[in-house]
Amino acid sequence: MLWVDKYRPKTLDQVLVHQDVAQNLKKLVTEQDCPHLLFYGPSGSGKKTLIMALLRQIFGSSAEKVKVENKTWKVDAGSRTIDLELTTLSSTNHVELNPSDAGFQDRYIVQEIIKEMAKNRPIDTKGKKGFKVLVLNEVDKLSREAQHSLRRTMEKYSAYCRLILCCNSSSKVSEAIRSRCLNVRINAPTEEQIVKVLEFIAKKERLQIPSGFAARIAEKSSRSLRRAILSFETCRVQQYPFTSNQIIPPMDWEEYIFEIASDIMKEQSPKRLYQVRHKLYELLVNCIPPEIILKRLLFELLKKLDAELKHEVCHWAAYYEHRMRLGQKAIFHLEAFVAKFMSIYKAFLIAAFG
Amino acid sequence: MDMDMDVDVPLPEELELLEESYIIHDQEFEHLDLEPSEPYPYEDEEEEPTQAKSPAADDSSPSPGTLIHCHKRSRSLDGSDAPVPDSSRPSDEKRSRIADDEEEEEWLRYSPSKVIDPVMKEPAVDDKEETLLWRFASDIDGDFIPVTAPSGGDRVYAKMSIEEMNERREKLSLRTQSGGLIEEPINVLLQRVEQEAFTKALQASSGDQNDLVLSETPVVHEKLWVDKYAPNSFTELLSDEQTNREVLLWLKQWDSCVFGSEIRSTSNEVLSALRRHLSVGQHQKFSNSNFLWKNRGPGWNKENFRLSNDFEKKSTDFDQINSNSKVIQDLWNKKSRSTGPPEQKILLLCGPPGLGKTTLAHVAARHCGYRVVEINASDDRSASTIEAKILDVVQMNSVTSDSRPKCLVIDEIDGALGDGKGAVEVILKMVSDDKKSDTGKENAAKEENPQKISAKKGRKSKPLSRPVICICNDLYAPVLRPLRQVARVHVFAQPTVSRIVSRLKYICNKEAMKTSSIALAALADYTECDIRSCLNTLQFLHKKKENLNMLDVSSQVIGRKDMSKSVFDVWKGLTGKVVRSGDYELIMDGVHENILQLPYHDPVMQKTVKCLNCLGISDLLHQYTLRRQQMHLLAYQPALAITVHRSVAQVQRPNIEWPKSYLRYRTMLTEKMDTLRSWYYTIPPYISRHLSIKSFVEEAVSLLLHILSPPTLRPVALNLLSENEKNDLDQLVSKMITYSITYKNVKLNPLSSDRSNEASDTLGLAFDPPIADFVNFKGYRSGHYVLALAMKQVLVHEVEKQRILQVSTARFGHLIDGCNKENEALSGKETGRLQPDKASHAGPCAKSIEKTSRHSNPSMPPTSCKPESSTASLKLKPSGGTRRSSGLSSFFDRFRKLSKDSQNTDTVVRKEETSERDLRPLLFKFNEGFTNAVKRPVRVREFLL
Repeated sequence: MLWVDKYRPKTLDQVLVHQDVAQNLKKLVTEQDCPHLLFYGPSGSGKKTLIMALLRQIFGSSAEKVKVENKTWKVDAGSRTIDLELTTLSSTNHVELNPSDAGFQDRYIVQEIIKEMAKNRPIDTKGKKGFKVLVLNEVDKLSREAQHSLRRTMEKYSAYCRLILCCNSSSKVSEAIRSRCLNVRINAPTEEQIVKVLEFIAKKERLQIPSGFAARIAEKSSRSLRRAILSFETCRVQQYPFTSNQIIPPMDWEEYIFEIASDIMKEQSPKRLYQVRHKLYELLVNCIPPEIILKRLLFELLKKLDAELKHEVCHWAAYYEHRMRLGQKAIFHLEAFVAKFMSIYKAFLIAAFG
Repeated sequence: MDMDMDVDVPLPEELELLEESYIIHDQEFEHLDLEPSEPYPYEDEEEEPTQAKSPAADDSSPSPGTLIHCHKRSRSLDGSDAPVPDSSRPSDEKRSRIADDEEEEEWLRYSPSKVIDPVMKEPAVDDKEETLLWRFASDIDGDFIPVTAPSGGDRVYAKMSIEEMNERREKLSLRTQSGGLIEEPINVLLQRVEQEAFTKALQASSGDQNDLVLSETPVVHEKLWVDKYAPNSFTELLSDEQTNREVLLWLKQWDSCVFGSEIRSTSNEVLSALRRHLSVGQHQKFSNSNFLWKNRGPGWNKENFRLSNDFEKKSTDFDQINSNSKVIQDLWNKKSRSTGPPEQKILLLCGPPGLGKTTLAHVAARHCGYRVVEINASDDRSASTIEAKILDVVQMNSVTSDSRPKCLVIDEIDGALGDGKGAVEVILKMVSDDKKSDTGKENAAKEENPQKISAKKGRKSKPLSRPVICICNDLYAPVLRPLRQVARVHVFAQPTVSRIVSRLKYICNKEAMKTSSIALAALADYTECDIRSCLNTLQFLHKKKENLNMLDVSSQVIGRKDMSKSVFDVWKGLTGKVVRSGDYELIMDGVHENILQLPYHDPVMQKTVKCLNCLGISDLLHQYTLRRQQMHLLAYQPALAITVHRSVAQVQRPNIEWPKSYLRYRTMLTEKMDTLRSWYYTIPPYISRHLSIKSFVEEAVSLLLHILSPPTLRPVALNLLSENEKNDLDQLVSKMITYSITYKNVKLNPLSSDRSNEASDTLGLAFDPPIADFVNFKGYRSGHYVLALAMKQVLVHEVEKQRILQVSTARFGHLIDGCNKENEALSGKETGRLQPDKASHAGPCAKSIEKTSRHSNPSMPPTSCKPESSTASLKLKPSGGTRRSSGLSSFFDRFRKLSKDSQNTDTVVRKEETSERDLRPLLFKFNEGFTNAVKRPVRVREFLL
């Protein structure tokens, strides 16, 4: 078992990073006044961990006994019926699902399936009417229609159903939904917090860490706790008695983008752009989201760039990322950014060196 | 006239009898002969009455029973004296050839009075046939024709009298000399004949004739020019000469198969005759012997007219060819000597609309003596109907109306979608059937004479014995892909503008329309030599009483066809001149694919930026258009393409490639997503819920790979590991299990093996959900340490063991606590699925947990894994006498273990066995080979070490 999973806090009390948030959540539960919740924050900050801990707080250990169900739903949509396949994780009291898996048909999931689930009211052991929790992941990837459909469901069944929404960016969640939820912002952990967690793990694993080593890992992790712990374990596996200058293994895709960036810096021509295109395709094929590629590429380019140009390049990166999100074919926009950069850089070189 | 020699001279009494009944025959045939309204009837009219008048006087009522007989025999009379007028005919012929339409009409108008209604006549003929019918073919000495009764299915044989044949020959000989080209297309004539018959029927009932006849003329007048001036002979075709001849040649290759063996020799003769400009007599022989056995119905002589005309045309045609090129003829000779139908049984004509594909098919088929049966897009083209139709065409021969062999023309075959695909399938099936049974049957068929073939036709299941011509616009339509391989393909080229113009000019002159050659040329150019379109335009203008001028053409007053350009043309055009097309997305993809390869001059990449911006805008536009269904926005797409064009256009022709990379990216992406997702489901939920696909690829995969292959793990046998190392190994195994990762056999290709340490071994072990692929970028060397092969094998083994252990602990409800606590959820899940059936051993359980590892199929019982666990579970197990034990693993696994890390297996086995031995006296049943069906001698000693 990886340390990431092994040292994941199970209860709200065990939480190390977002202790304030955890205590507030605990208060909510104990006061029996839990509204709909919207957790948002970057990946690796601990949203899911908090949600699971919260569920455990509400339902006790029964929340941990989950089963995976892969069910096909038949949804009657006007003239035709649509078959939707959906995987859910469910315990007696809660259901986790990822409605955006259905792609453009997510609307039907929200309209039919979630509604159906929300309607069924569980009865707890004492014969009291209990309430159930729906955990919806990646709400920001839901289409606009689906989000609209969600609003009414949230209101109508609020008496006995709570929705916990989880997403990376709240800006893509519609205003209406946000206003119906208690928004919980989960920050990316600070480097100090990460160091604290790493030291905690080291203590549990009875490892000696040289001073500054944990800080290095935290620095390299770009404030993602998951990544920090994984890196830590990797270091442990590769070389145990840690030395403070031990290499922390980089992410491969980042290395690859580094290569692309140096390619771009070396030569600016359509031919080089063509080569870059193939490399970008390589990254895209391996499921790396184009936004992240663009961001990382900008980061790598900025490192090598003259201060004069940084502002302009950032501007264009934002411009093309905006287009990328509006459009469909990410490669067009990525490539357009690279071309734009090449053009700017080449003009700069010509101006500077004649 | 060698055939004339074997004419039977009828006996005197027969003659007498014939003369008695001649009058009826005469009337009947007068009617029949007159109908086709061709030059011949004039002669009949002039000649026959003189012969027939006197017999008609002395015998007024012949018995109906003998009528057919008379009809048949009577020809002999005609035949015997035919050669005499033969020489004196030509002058008459010439006169009749000049006869124009009005004359014909005039003549037709008064003819009905003499003619008996054909509709009334036909059933009578049927009845009378009885006298000449035999039950068995052997009763007849000579030629016969089988007749099957439509109702009962009785089959009888009708004798064909030689006299009749000869007589027919004579008549033909007269006619072929006349050699008049038909002014109007055959189908028009046929239509007119039908109409005529109809009118006559009406006249017979009402007595009013003038109205109806007059009403015909305006109908004819209002015909489309396209139909009016459609070429009706081979020489009039506008399409490319080469193609025309190839098609004709192909059709002629069917002759031996369709018309029988006799024709083959004669067709050679004909050809040689053609070459030497021989007299027409040879053609008669050809045509006569050709159709003797088929032409039985009342329309028989009409057929012969047409045929003889055709043959004449052919002769003229061949004269032309002769003068033009010898090559074609040589080819012809070579081909025609080869036996059977042509190699490719399907002819596929393709080309843009309006070049005369359909016309060529029809004309050529008619030319070769076929009756054209057309199936086009308007017909029902589902597989069942089309099969029936093709069989009908290919195997049946109509007795009554038009008994020429049929030629199937399937028009617009590329438009066949959905059900229409049936057509292609049926044809393909027939062709493939044909290929199988080809040679044998073909030879057999050749031996038989034509009559026999005709007799057999109904019964034979020979798949394709008639030519099939398919016509399409788009040769590369997906539907046609299989057909392309078996068919002979002829691509229609555009005829030259001058050729079109001359034709248009001729038509315009005929229609008294004023045009200039330049305007016509412009029109032809504008319509891309679409003759149909040109003619329609001209007729339209003519109706409007306007003249064609250049301005009209260029200002698009005239309707333009809705054409689709190939995307390749568009891409090429983008670099040259801008053209129009519909599929913008594809075009933009193509632009994207190719733009960076173009050799345009761009020092600071500004053009590239501009072009890519355009592509980006086009993408946004497309996305928006589709999402909001604002289709009118598509109108702005071409503008973007034009911008691109402005930037990169140049003179030289670029090398354009089809946009594959984006599609490839899409497919590969979905593939990888699927792998990840399916792997995801095998991970226990308490882990997988925290890991989305995005975060896995972004943050976890590289590090996970590092963790899973620690360089500190020495590739040695288990028993040589230190305590710490063992602990590490245990942890590694547990990680692999929780993430349900294992190794499996893969073939390493030498290219990828350079980054692994085990390059020497071609057969390696790789992670089973291929997670390593996610960091394996092209042209990138990741610094991942890869475990040695032996180590991997140990890991595979250990992982299997652990898995089974977990299952067993789950089954018996006892959790071996400590490090196994995390398995709780997993085992809880498993117990839900497993049946508490104790008889079913670990095999199925193991299968249920791990779908991933195909590598080894262990069937270890739960007790035999680890000393600690075995003791724990042994207590629970009912101490049955026999139990399966020992680490059975797959056959291959065992050998590898023995060869490479035998120590490892030994230690495992040893551990188990010592624990077992300590517990109980020897109770051992070795089921080696039980599951794997492979036996190997094993000593008990090996287990008891």
